[in-house]
Amino acid sequence: MTEHTIRAFDADLQALARMISEMGGLAEKQVIDAIRSLDRLDVAMARRIIADDAKINGIQHEIEEKVILTIARRQPMAADLREIVAALRISNDLERIGDLAKNIAKRVSVLDNDIQLRQVMRGVEHMADLALVALKNVLDSYIRRDVEKAVAVWRGDEEIDAVNNSLLRELLTYMIEDPRNIGICIHLMFCIKNIERMGDHATNIAENVYHMVEGKMLPDDRPKGDLTSLISAPIETKRKSP
Amino acid sequence: MTFAITRMMAPVPVVGNPLPIGGGAEKITIRKLNFYYGDHCALKDINVSLYAKKVMAFIGPSGCGKSTFLRVLNRIYDLYPNQRAEGEVLLDGKNILAADQDLNLLRARVGMVFQKPTPFPMTIYENIAFGVRLYERLSKSELDGQVEQALRRAAIWEEVKDKLNANGLSLSGGQQQRLCIARTIAVKPEVILLDEPCSALDPIATAKIEELIDELKNDYTIVIVTHNMQQAARVSDFTAFMYLGEMIEFNTTTFIFTNPENRRTQDYITGRFG
Amino acid sequence: MMMLYARRRFRNMTMLVLSVGATLAGLGWLVLILWTLVVEGMSGLSLKVFTEMTPPPGSDGGLLNPIVGSLIMTSLAVAVGTPIGIFAGTYMAEYGRYSPLTQVVRFINDILLSAPSIIVGLFIYEVMVAPMGHFSAYAGAVALAVIVIPVVVRTTEDMLLLVPKELREAATALGMPRLYVIRRVSYRAAKAGILTGILLAIARISGETAPILFTALNNQFFSADLNAPMASLPAVIFQFALSPYKDWQKLAWTGALIITLAVLALSIIARMLAASRKTS
Repeated sequence: MTEHTIRAFDADLQALARMISEMGGLAEKQVIDAIRSLDRLDVAMARRIIADDAKINGIQHEIEEKVILTIARRQPMAADLREIVAALRISNDLERIGDLAKNIAKRVSVLDNDIQLRQVMRGVEHMADLALVALKNVLDSYIRRDVEKAVAVWRGDEEIDAVNNSLLRELLTYMIEDPRNIGICIHLMFCIKNIERMGDHATNIAENVYHMVEGKMLPDDRPKGDLTSLISAPIETKRKSP
Repeated sequence: MTFAITRMMAPVPVVGNPLPIGGGAEKITIRKLNFYYGDHCALKDINVSLYAKKVMAFIGPSGCGKSTFLRVLNRIYDLYPNQRAEGEVLLDGKNILAADQDLNLLRARVGMVFQKPTPFPMTIYENIAFGVRLYERLSKSELDGQVEQALRRAAIWEEVKDKLNANGLSLSGGQQQRLCIARTIAVKPEVILLDEPCSALDPIATAKIEELIDELKNDYTIVIVTHNMQQAARVSDFTAFMYLGEMIEFNTTTFIFTNPENRRTQDYITGRFG
Repeated sequence: MMMLYARRRFRNMTMLVLSVGATLAGLGWLVLILWTLVVEGMSGLSLKVFTEMTPPPGSDGGLLNPIVGSLIMTSLAVAVGTPIGIFAGTYMAEYGRYSPLTQVVRFINDILLSAPSIIVGLFIYEVMVAPMGHFSAYAGAVALAVIVIPVVVRTTEDMLLLVPKELREAATALGMPRLYVIRRVSYRAAKAGILTGILLAIARISGETAPILFTALNNQFFSADLNAPMASLPAVIFQFALSPYKDWQKLAWTGALIITLAVLALSIIARMLAASRKTS
């Protein structure tokens, strides 16, 4: 897009985009580290993650202030307005992703090494990879204004949901097998749920990128694969009739 | 999982995208309007519908023809030689560009407020009564009532009720402009044309006029030309973007200011022009 | 740099001195004229001047007949010339603003405006005095009217052109017929200016001598007969000032003072009107 007649306005928008990228990078790192600390049960790393969350929150505040100031000073219209609002909302999603990573890190200290747990961890890592790819792609789509990529992320969340389902079923089996596993499994369950939520935030960001570029909303009825709300103790799943 | 894959292939359905236009009854319909200053073509093939009891804003850079467009609607351009309009401007279905159109009656139906406040060199009361007397024969008390009503509707009664015999020119700029609006309303027009009515006013006076426009659209069809895009966004239901004598885009104000279709509209409203 | 600045300052000073000098020189003559007029005229100014006829040489008298004559002819000239001038000016500024006729009229009017008044006198002599066979107040009034018209045409047109087009458009946009727009809005806005123009026209003709000499001539006696020669201040001043008689010369000075004071009063009123136009 061509430049604004008032060049300071371009600088404002660029600064916002830069802050979002920086925040996205930080959030990604937090998620990677959180999963790693979970995998290795590295409590020191987990502590650092918890401390670093403040950085993400700090950038979010900066973005909020910058957004408010830019709206007040530049009276943005059309694409500019959408871009600024998108920045505000994306920063919110990224902040939530940071929180979720922190939440996983908090659980590291209460888990201990367990053979079965290690098996579940493979699944968790796989799921986290999916969420991280989604996060990376959606941040790319934001920076490059790439609608197709954003829509792909938006659709891809289904896969994360599917992994989520199977992992939860797996955990259920462990809990039924041996009630002593229940404590750990519940913590893991929350970790898995957190990763699933990260995927949801990535789709939110994808929706914002889509609206920012196209000026239209993606439909509400995103294809959903999260059926965990339908899972009950005797493992049988009911499919929503499509 | 197969159903999910087919879903992934499906095109993205789009929601929340208002289809252009559809604003109710058409008060003025303009077809293939061309306007010339001598040989210079100032308006090129304008086609647009103006809706009854709505506010239509016309924006665009200086010289884009938006004021010219406004001046066609009450044929005020007829005052000057070498200015002519071609095409059709249908007011309630009747072409006002027709040779047999009575201009005074047209202007009584289509009132106009100008950029610079133009109170007549007479008292505040006379400024209003003057236009009323042209078309109605009233007793003194009826006339008083009409004058008061017009001043009230223009939200200036409280400020002038104690000095109706003061010269209209003694008022402040914002008051003068509201007096001019009152004067226009007093003739009971159907359409009100506003040609940059706030460009000479301070923000408070501007806010009062904008509030007034909001109030007036219950009864009148309002067409406003403005340089101030924020003003267009604030007061109008529909917005037209004009450039070099052409109507580039006309749509709901919501649409124009959030997601205009045309690249030039987008560039103009986001401040990326030239 | 300082050199440059000093030179610029010097040039500025030189220019200032020259301008002030020229202004003072011009004003000096004016003051001198007025001073002489007052000194010479005041001594003869008395009630008798306004109550008695012009005397034969060597006897007492006043300027009653020329004063009345001037008033009558000036009034007639204004009464005839003003409406014509205003109508013509209105046509030029309002109805026919863009017509070629207006261009022609304006051109001719400008010539008339700057034409020497003696030519006007000669013209009226040819078309009125010669066919009628005698001088008359009618012919004098017509000659003066011919001088009034271009002044009024010009000021009316100028003043109407000064009325902002927005005002005219605003009135028209109310659905007002053309006549209303002109009468109720344009004239009202231009009123003070047009009145000023008329006053200036009166001031101009009250001092005209040449056209009077060719048309109304002069009259030693009081006469209200418009079909006969009539006295007027400029003509009497002309006659008396050139005479060898001391008392006639004195009356000429007094008459000149009266005209000057009258013109001065009109100018002041005109200026006050012009000022009130700006503030209203």
